[in-house]
Amino acid sequence: MTKVSTGNTEPRLPWAGKQVRMEDVEETLAELWHLSADNVRIGQNIRVRTSVLNFVICAPNLAAAQHASAGLRNLGSTHIGRVILLILNPDPGAPPGVSTWVTLRSFPIVSDMMRHTFEQVTVLLSGSAASAADTILQPLFKPDLPVYLWWLQDVPTDNPLFHHLANSSSRVIVDSHGFFQPEASLMQLAQISRALRDSALSDLNWSRITHWRQLVAQFFDVPAYQRYLEGVFRIEVEHSVLPTDSAEDTQPARSPIAGATVNATRALLLAAWLKTSLNWHIDPSHPDNYRDPETGAYTWHTLHRTGPLHFIPTEETAEGLYPEPVISHSGEGTIFVRPRVQPGLPPGSICLVRLSSTVDGKLATFTVNRTDDREHALTVVTLPEGASPPRTVPIPGTQPAIDLLHEELEIIGRDHLYEDTLQEVSQLLSEI
Amino acid sequence: MPQRAVVEAPNPFREGLRMKQSPEPCVMVIFGATGDLTHRKLLPALYNLALEHPLPAGFSVVGFARRPYSDEEFRKQALDSVNQFSRQKPVNQQVWESFASGIHYLQSNFHDPEGYERLAALLNKLDQERGTSGNRIFYLSTPPSQYPTIIQNLGAAGLNRNRKGWTRVIVEKPFGHDLASARELNRQIGKVFKEEQIYRIDHYLGKETVQNIQVFRLANGIFEPVWNRRYVDHVQITAAENIGIEGRGGYYEESGAIRDMIQNHMLQLLTLVAMEPPIAFEANAVRNEKVKVLQALQPIVGQDVLTNTIRAQYGPGYVGGQPVKGYLEETGVSPTSTTETYVALKLFIDNWRWAGVPFYLRTGKHLPKRVTEIAIQFKQPPLMLFKRQDSQSQVEPNVLTLRIQPDEGISLKFGAKVPGTDMQIRSVNMDFFYGSSFVRQQPEAYERLLLDSMLGDSTLFTRRDEVEAAWAFVQGILDEWASGDVPIHTYESGTWGPQAADEFIWRDGFRWRRP
Repeated sequence: MTKVSTGNTEPRLPWAGKQVRMEDVEETLAELWHLSADNVRIGQNIRVRTSVLNFVICAPNLAAAQHASAGLRNLGSTHIGRVILLILNPDPGAPPGVSTWVTLRSFPIVSDMMRHTFEQVTVLLSGSAASAADTILQPLFKPDLPVYLWWLQDVPTDNPLFHHLANSSSRVIVDSHGFFQPEASLMQLAQISRALRDSALSDLNWSRITHWRQLVAQFFDVPAYQRYLEGVFRIEVEHSVLPTDSAEDTQPARSPIAGATVNATRALLLAAWLKTSLNWHIDPSHPDNYRDPETGAYTWHTLHRTGPLHFIPTEETAEGLYPEPVISHSGEGTIFVRPRVQPGLPPGSICLVRLSSTVDGKLATFTVNRTDDREHALTVVTLPEGASPPRTVPIPGTQPAIDLLHEELEIIGRDHLYEDTLQEVSQLLSEI
Repeated sequence: MPQRAVVEAPNPFREGLRMKQSPEPCVMVIFGATGDLTHRKLLPALYNLALEHPLPAGFSVVGFARRPYSDEEFRKQALDSVNQFSRQKPVNQQVWESFASGIHYLQSNFHDPEGYERLAALLNKLDQERGTSGNRIFYLSTPPSQYPTIIQNLGAAGLNRNRKGWTRVIVEKPFGHDLASARELNRQIGKVFKEEQIYRIDHYLGKETVQNIQVFRLANGIFEPVWNRRYVDHVQITAAENIGIEGRGGYYEESGAIRDMIQNHMLQLLTLVAMEPPIAFEANAVRNEKVKVLQALQPIVGQDVLTNTIRAQYGPGYVGGQPVKGYLEETGVSPTSTTETYVALKLFIDNWRWAGVPFYLRTGKHLPKRVTEIAIQFKQPPLMLFKRQDSQSQVEPNVLTLRIQPDEGISLKFGAKVPGTDMQIRSVNMDFFYGSSFVRQQPEAYERLLLDSMLGDSTLFTRRDEVEAAWAFVQGILDEWASGDVPIHTYESGTWGPQAADEFIWRDGFRWRRP
């Protein structure tokens, strides 16, 4: 039998429903469903009961748990079978304990006539019980449904609980936008991704750049522009930062930004994705791969396999050996990721992506630019013969995590492109 | 880490994105640009495509019509259309301005060659200014009587093809008035455009739920094995409208329900339900299978028309609580008209899969509600273990219903034991609702079809032989009806059709579903 904490320190969680012993969870939920069916008969509305997944939310404290619980109303259409809200008591000195609450959550889908209902089980673990969370949760999973884990904390490096939970999940979802030390955490996340054998890894920040990826891809759907792919020699990505002082800051937009909070995770993911898609490789011998500590700007130099072949003739070495002649592509490229002071945009938002290409000695640029209008971007193609008509496209300014989560919960299987991109980010960061 | 080779993929940035291709910059020329279809459907659909990104930079619209509008006046009309009929409101001002900068208007009569010369000049100018590279779509949104004139003039002006890019023509239904006129229309269009340039649009095929018929059948392993004469008892396809002819008496008198609904929409639904799996989900492979269904339809000719068809007109009654006039009292309708507003058909498909399975089709105006659905009724188990022991037990056949509109979804009816100590069985429905399962807004049918036409994907468009095969089937019925030997019944508006239609299906031991 599971011990239920009854001490004075046990919190009251009215939003979590009825407190029950863990072994009574299923029976209590069955009773709630029965009551719910009666209410439907009285209320004349339709309850949609479709189950596609178990959703585990791992929250570091009560406040984060309540916030996540409140956001679940926007996930009605995902048809979560059961939400297990796992709260880890942050007090390391707390006695071991397991407290459990159950409730049925019901939210209108299109109108109040049709509601989606799912089960929510809230589990508060204290003391040593927290380290056994994965075992404690096992009997709570609905059978034969995948388990999605939403990790609401900074990236865990040496947290065995995370690894245990991740290994019993089909998908692990994090949000690198909230990482306290973005660079270090992205590299750690890349390590975790390599270590996860059977679980997929998702990052809400990757979803935030989907629109940008679409807009870049759209440039090269035009057959006339495809030839410029081979001549791309520069990638520029800019992300927003707030002014260092106040709104009256008169510094130019690209001025140094020492002191401003910089979270370049989105820009790094976008740059790494562009690099991977273009099949570029970092030139590790280049002396100018660096991060400017004052501005937070990154620069990398790359080699790539596209473009004309370059023949490197053999030369006699000092030892009198003749190495194999080398035939390689002569393409060289540069990647710039830099902050831009853009008071109208939330920090970390992408402001600009630009690809520059030279083919037959002629320069072309492909630009998506967003200024302080957070809901729109402008796409422009500049060719030697002139510019294409600029196009204004809507682009989400801010996307709440819960909206992005909705997309993530619809993904089945691994997102290999994201996982590869994450490794690329790690490689980029390791080269500076 | 896997390497991606730039040179192998035409666009390496497309990997992992939901949309696999966006169209090339092009111009859409809309003939009949001031008409109702353009106002209600085409311009709002194009705006929505611009809003959701698929439209490329440089995409342009040229409205071609008789009314004396300037570019600015036509843009204002277009904005009114979007304000009224776009599924996404309010209008996004920045996106609208960007989209509207590519909208132009050309005033001309459809038969005036000089208008087409000016059109050619304008298109060349847009190619230069907006980078549309000679990619053109001509949308015939005019009365069908204008089609030959427009097509002929496009050909005479050399606009049917160009060296720089591609040229396509979209033809709205009706494709002809009967088999002979359909063949003649196809012949005239075929003189100017190649078949692969011609996109015959039937907006039913752009509906998400219609496309889902194929997904439901061919992406799930459990349905196809029972999708045949061994398990299916009969099929009912219903397309009911609660509206009347809405003041279009002149048009409807020439058309009637069989031309307006059966020859196109309903036979298209039939082909999607009955076709064999194609060898690939590719335009011609899919359409090859659809044509085979139409070619396998057992002809209804001569005396068979009397026994296998019912035609009727609505009389006065109440629809939606409002009194409505009978068809013969409608404006523009002859008091002695025999044009049908209701049709019921029984047909058979003479192939290995469907031999002997009756398909019942019905459509009508001023029926109780607007609904389109396909109901597949399965045969009863070979041995009824749960025989009706008391009046409370009911063992009904399984019915799988594909609801096309409204309440798009799928439901399966099956028997379940009523809780209790006795063996009481009751039919229950297991429902899947599109609207609640995917809260994401469904695109309008025209959005999907316009985008496909820009991408050169004709899977959801009707091919010449499909059109002619559908007309060939319908022609036998039309001929017999024209002889006057087949009675035209009357039904009270707001009911599910004439009594004769009920008797028609009762004779086979079935009854119409009440959708």
